[in-house]
Amino acid sequence: MQRNLPWDWYPGTIPENVIVDETAYVETTFSFYLYRSAEPVGVRIGRGASTYLGTMFDSGPQARISIGDFALVHGAWFICDEEVEIGDYALISWNVVFMDTYRVPFDPAQRRRELERVPFLSPRRLAATTPTKRIRVGRNVWIGFDVCVLPGVTIGEGSIVGARSVVTEAVPPYTIVAGNPARAIRRLTAEETTHES
Amino acid sequence: MKDSPEPNPGRWLNGDLPANVRIGSNSLIASDYAFKRFRSRRPTALVIGSNCTMDGVHFALGEEGQAVIGDYCYFTNAVLLCELELRIGNYVVIGWNATIADTDFHPIGPAERIADAIACSPLGKGRPRPEIARQAVIIEDDVWIGPNATILKGVRIGQGAWVEAGALITRDLPAGARVLGNPAQVIGTVSGEPGA
Repeated sequence: MQRNLPWDWYPGTIPENVIVDETAYVETTFSFYLYRSAEPVGVRIGRGASTYLGTMFDSGPQARISIGDFALVHGAWFICDEEVEIGDYALISWNVVFMDTYRVPFDPAQRRRELERVPFLSPRRLAATTPTKRIRVGRNVWIGFDVCVLPGVTIGEGSIVGARSVVTEAVPPYTIVAGNPARAIRRLTAEETTHES
Repeated sequence: MKDSPEPNPGRWLNGDLPANVRIGSNSLIASDYAFKRFRSRRPTALVIGSNCTMDGVHFALGEEGQAVIGDYCYFTNAVLLCELELRIGNYVVIGWNATIADTDFHPIGPAERIADAIACSPLGKGRPRPEIARQAVIIEDDVWIGPNATILKGVRIGQGAWVEAGALITRDLPAGARVLGNPAQVIGTVSGEPGA
């Protein structure tokens, strides 16, 4: 697989443990600027999927990120120390945050100790020191711009998350949610969920 | 940047810091646009303490803006919009794309806004802008501000407060409060587990 992108403005490469399907589109290797996964497969980008300019794989050593087939990721910031899974056909807008970790201890005294270590680490980045909670975004989900998805959240198949929402708990399938914190607005109707093809 | 332990070609600012910026030992500023919107003419415009990591931060200081940041702070792609005063303590963490503004940017009254639109236009050269509401933002020690959060003018965030991702803060927060939402609601204190 070719590790640099002929159209890229950034002089980077796609890391060795990233699998990009030959039909997928990655706009820039700058998306891997904060990438440091040491897993056998740190990122997998599926068939016909695409990741655009604003996307950042801000991932720790144990991170696994998977982007499903035909998923369109306009610009998502993956703060991932364990696992974030984006389903097939998902539509992800710009400035969306998926965080499976807070990266810092909740206790201020412990947090101080972590912050005192950071300036002497290489790379100079926060290590994962809080329990992680996986994020799963189902197939055919649509997420609007500026949305934050907090640790442990699952979004069911076919659901829609309105722009600027903050998703703090599980979203059932085929449901429209919006708000900060996000609340269910309504279920998609039987008519909306049955489509002819 | 002068103390940068790991130079990273393609990302680091070339050139010197503006003369009115002071940065402590072992602190780091990474980004090509850190000072793109830095226009402060204060003798001491920006002070960053020691052992800070400022990755991708926008220091958008207006002509009269002054920002003071303590030690051991860690900001990732935060946007600091400062026309008056921004005071940030020690051990403060600010997440990706969080925005802090100490100004309303434009006047509230429609007539003043027309005057401001003209003053800001290409035809408004030399015309003074009308008075715009500004109030200092104070962020005390040990505060955590999540990704996509917004802090507006005049707010004091008490020591150790935890501002969840995407929260919109328009009022003071007591020390140790955990807040979430738009409008932000206090949902607990920092004694529990992070997240909602």
